[in-house]
Amino acid sequence: MSKAKTSTRWDLTARVLAAILGGYAAAYAATAFLSVYLPLMRSDRVVFASLACFVVYTFAIIYAFAARSALRVWLVLAGATALMALAAYLPSDFGVRP
Amino acid sequence: MSLRQSMAGLHTWGGLLPSWLLFVIFFAGSIACFDKELERWMRPAVHEPAGHSLSLDQVRDILLAKAPDAHAIWIRPPSEREPFFWAGYEPADESEFVRLALDPATGEVMPETVGGLFFFTLHYDLNAGMIGMYIVAIAAMFMLVALISGIIIHRRIFKDFFTLRPDANGQRAWLDAHNLFGVVGLPFHLLIAYTGLAIFVVFYMPAAIQQAYKGNAEEFFRDVMGAYEREDVKRPAPPAASLDALVAEAHRHWGGNETGWLSVHHPGDEAAVVDIRRYNRSQIVDFQWTLSFDAASGELLHEQKPYSAGYASYAWLTNLHMAQFGGQIVRALYLLLGLMGCAMLVSGLQVWLRKREARGGYGIGLVRALNGAVVGGLPVASLALLYGNRLIPADMAARGSAETWVFVGAWLLVAVWAVLRRNSGKVARDVLLALAVLALGLPLLNALVTPQGSLLTTLGRGDWDLAGIDLVLLFSGVVCALAARRLSLPQVEKAPRRRRLVEESA
Repeated sequence: MSKAKTSTRWDLTARVLAAILGGYAAAYAATAFLSVYLPLMRSDRVVFASLACFVVYTFAIIYAFAARSALRVWLVLAGATALMALAAYLPSDFGVRP
Repeated sequence: MSLRQSMAGLHTWGGLLPSWLLFVIFFAGSIACFDKELERWMRPAVHEPAGHSLSLDQVRDILLAKAPDAHAIWIRPPSEREPFFWAGYEPADESEFVRLALDPATGEVMPETVGGLFFFTLHYDLNAGMIGMYIVAIAAMFMLVALISGIIIHRRIFKDFFTLRPDANGQRAWLDAHNLFGVVGLPFHLLIAYTGLAIFVVFYMPAAIQQAYKGNAEEFFRDVMGAYEREDVKRPAPPAASLDALVAEAHRHWGGNETGWLSVHHPGDEAAVVDIRRYNRSQIVDFQWTLSFDAASGELLHEQKPYSAGYASYAWLTNLHMAQFGGQIVRALYLLLGLMGCAMLVSGLQVWLRKREARGGYGIGLVRALNGAVVGGLPVASLALLYGNRLIPADMAARGSAETWVFVGAWLLVAVWAVLRRNSGKVARDVLLALAVLALGLPLLNALVTPQGSLLTTLGRGDWDLAGIDLVLLFSGVVCALAARRLSLPQVEKAPRRRRLVEESA
């Protein structure tokens, strides 16, 4: 249980933005990550990674409103996005393997 | 704030905002389950079963006479649900594809109509092209979030399912209804929202193709679909092989199945290719098994390889959404579940309203106005479209646009009137009355204007596809009339019935 805090207008705006933009960024990075690392053939990696994107987006949005503070939402979403994006984009030729 | 409190706020506002848009998508999608039957209902030329049908070669010649230098032509042979030819071509100047509906007996282009296709397009892009497609996707994401947050705030799904308090105060009775429709439809609603998004996933989420295919979407589709292509050589061709013979050949190859659509690329060129697709409704994944033949010699050039696991999964999910498998019983179930989704939305809106009517709040008038304009306007407009279809002269130019204007005009009328009367408390009753009159009148008009498609005739023929539409209209009209009558009775506070049920333990 968290302390009941009056949610200010800023807090709400920050959460809404985090949900819509941060959530999409996290879903994008997760899809890119899965399309590189799933142990499948290339076209199947693309299909399953793409199909999974809506799960990530939905739960990122849920998290944006469930988390204790807006700052925490931004940190978690930005952190997860950065980690997955780095992992996906660093090995440049691994992702295009057949 | 506890998790349940934050989710309640998310469900309330994240549910309210897209409600009207979702209502349009649900309603149009429910009707689109029977789009092909409606298409036929809106084309009186094919009400009576045709005595004979043109051959594919004749249809090809008709198309090539219309567009001698077309890049490609395509033909969809008649089927049980659509007993006429869909045909079309891609003009040489690469402008828009041309689509024609041809009378199966004469090959004449039938009078133009937006047809059942109108509701199908309204469902997935609001008849607004790419922009509409993205708007629908955003609504679907809202829906997924509303479903998940709704599950989280719903403490006692099983117990509440058996709780109905129709005599309770307004808000509580509507909440019970909202929970009932929401819980019964939950698996379907989750499936429909998710698979609906999945259909156009490559437009919404390009990350995977960016990463694994360096952004080359065409290469990805070549990998999963394996289409065969051959460049034209700009040399006129010898007389082409018969399409009918090639289809017979394809049937032998597949083991006798219904033909889907077939296309001829670079007709009249030496390198012309005929693609023939299978249309298999007996399975959820309708693998098309495309066969490509040389248009001159009839030699089999290429056979589509079976889908890989990934693409088969995608096809399975998207076809669960499309409801083209399993016949009319599946479509009827989808229609009912879709209407249940509409009922869930409407009762959810009522919960929002009743709560704020009781304790005051902003936006009550706006929500009332939108309820009347959208929830009342769309069904009225849909019926008006069918009236337009029967009353607009068959030979009128741009007949499809005229039908659309009837639809839009009727909707605007209801919307303006609902906005003006938003606080009268009588909008629901008046809309139901209008719907009753319109729905009961349609089968009558149908019998007067198109006797070959009248209810008595179609029942006599055992033509359930056409008769079903008239019967559903009559049934809806009666239901709307009864509901309107109930709403116009003087609303007296009923004395609470004696509780036979044990009071719920809190």
